[in-house]
Amino acid sequence: MKFGIFYELSVPRPWDKEAERKVYLNALEQVRLADELGFDQVWAVEHHFLEEYSHCSAPELFLTACAMQTKDIHVGHGIVICVPEFNHPIRIAERAAVLDILSGGRLEFGTGRSATWTELGGFRANPDDTKKSWDEFVHCLPKMWMQERFSYEGKYFSMPSRAVLPKPYQKPHPPMWVAVTSPGTELDAADRGIGSLGVTFTSFAEQEAKVKEYRRRIQNCNPVGGFVNNQVNTVNFLFCHEDSEAGTKIGMRMIQHFNYLAAQLDMAKEAVPTKSYPTAGLLPSLRRQASSPGEQAKAPEGIAVGNPAHLIQELKKWEACGVDRVSFMLNAAEIIPQEQLLASLRLFAKEVMPAFAESRPQAAAGGGR
Amino acid sequence: MPLFGKQDVQTAATRAPVMTGFDTEAWELKGVEILQLSFEVVEGPAEYLVPPALHPSIPPYAALSVARVPTSPVGPYMLAQVRLVIRAGIRPRAYLLGAYTDSEKAANELRSRWGFSINTGTVTLQSRHDRIIGKVECNGQTILDMELENPEQISGADVTILDGLHLARVVEKGKEVPLIVQVDPEYVFHSAQRGRPRLLALPSDAWGAENRLRCTNPMHAVFCRCDTDMPKLRFAMDPTIPVTQGGSRRLAA
Repeated sequence: MKFGIFYELSVPRPWDKEAERKVYLNALEQVRLADELGFDQVWAVEHHFLEEYSHCSAPELFLTACAMQTKDIHVGHGIVICVPEFNHPIRIAERAAVLDILSGGRLEFGTGRSATWTELGGFRANPDDTKKSWDEFVHCLPKMWMQERFSYEGKYFSMPSRAVLPKPYQKPHPPMWVAVTSPGTELDAADRGIGSLGVTFTSFAEQEAKVKEYRRRIQNCNPVGGFVNNQVNTVNFLFCHEDSEAGTKIGMRMIQHFNYLAAQLDMAKEAVPTKSYPTAGLLPSLRRQASSPGEQAKAPEGIAVGNPAHLIQELKKWEACGVDRVSFMLNAAEIIPQEQLLASLRLFAKEVMPAFAESRPQAAAGGGR
Repeated sequence: MPLFGKQDVQTAATRAPVMTGFDTEAWELKGVEILQLSFEVVEGPAEYLVPPALHPSIPPYAALSVARVPTSPVGPYMLAQVRLVIRAGIRPRAYLLGAYTDSEKAANELRSRWGFSINTGTVTLQSRHDRIIGKVECNGQTILDMELENPEQISGADVTILDGLHLARVVEKGKEVPLIVQVDPEYVFHSAQRGRPRLLALPSDAWGAENRLRCTNPMHAVFCRCDTDMPKLRFAMDPTIPVTQGGSRRLAA
């Protein structure tokens, strides 16, 4: 199993001149260390208007900085919002290709559609259409990368024949993923031959069944790209400390803060009546676990906070479910001081990673690298 | 930490109803029709409509509704509400700014048993082939005029009606104190439609919002037929102490 880190870049109030810069610089320092320690990927979300929760609206810029300061770690564009009001697909293809070139072929390309009214309403995007525009985009993007010239007449965008340039460094193109929050999206991923980037927390039994079905279904996929990316990545939290109680306490404080900030947003499901968002995405599962900032709680099953032995035990469960990768959120609202966070990463690399060194090889069929 | 509301609770509480207690019996309400429209609102002024214990949502929005209740223990009545969507800790709720009904009997019960800040007026709900219209008139003035245009069928599962929070006054230890009660009905939807929301009139003064409720970006309009209730009260909270700091309490199981 491979491990990555995952950024929302949450910035607590008050937003003085240095607040956002500090969060970005801290994150870059963490990424440099993660690269040295052998973490495999760094993911950054695309979110807009999500006060305090995520100030990561230009992830391709952040990831370019990450790429230029590291050697091996892959940069995960996770995810690019495939809704025309947010991003024109030509610009998505171009920016991703540049990032792939500058990183020397280390780009992982995540796709998605946003789950909040805060964002969709801000761009005046119709929630009914986001799944459909995502589908159109994921079919076209690989063609823009693989074909010398590309033309298209579609519902959400059209273009005459043009060379979309530059082309990605990886051939035929970077591995593609989709963020899975709504039930069934993992099957959409399988049918299109792209990786499942799970960002909801479910029970192990449910997760195992989903992975099994994804693996079964992807065998008969109609790939949108030049190869099949048969991989399952899940998102988790990380805080590792020698002392179990301290690790759990600090880790849970971070999780509670994250949950609290997430709950302030207007989820599409709650704000507008649409079939396109059958669930509120990340929030219901979070709310089951969430209470409030500062409140101490036992770490929920499967969450990677505590001492190394506990983390190995919980991550082995994920591995047993068939998950290929786990990406960790490291902080929320800077609740964990930077030195403590860096120490957590070091301890994880020293004590936990070796327990997964002999894991089975990744299941990707083909691959862009 | 997210922003908190800036309402002057003591002043707001002078307009709040006095409740007679929390152990009220539930009403079962069958065949209710509800028209609900939502609009984003201008943030700054709206913060002064939210008690300090609550967070404005991001972005803040208002839920405007007109309901026809064909049968109840006090007979049929109409109910119009203007509510502001907020967060009580992590939970989305709708904070009642003001309500109107056409029934004096219903007004008295809703005020004293469920903490509705409610007046009487002419409340109507009309269903036409191309639109559904909700209207409230009081003292010869139209104080709510809204429409759902071009209705299309949807599933009831796609409709969200948030639980309400009502600022009321209660007598505790011989002293009248402001308190927020949670009113959380259950809904069983029989049919639902959605359409384009259109707001023609909403003078915010008429809804206890002074000049602070300014609707902007339209979000949705739904019309549904459902069975619902006026439930037993389960939770109350101090309007000045966030739930994260122990401001809430359980009233009933």
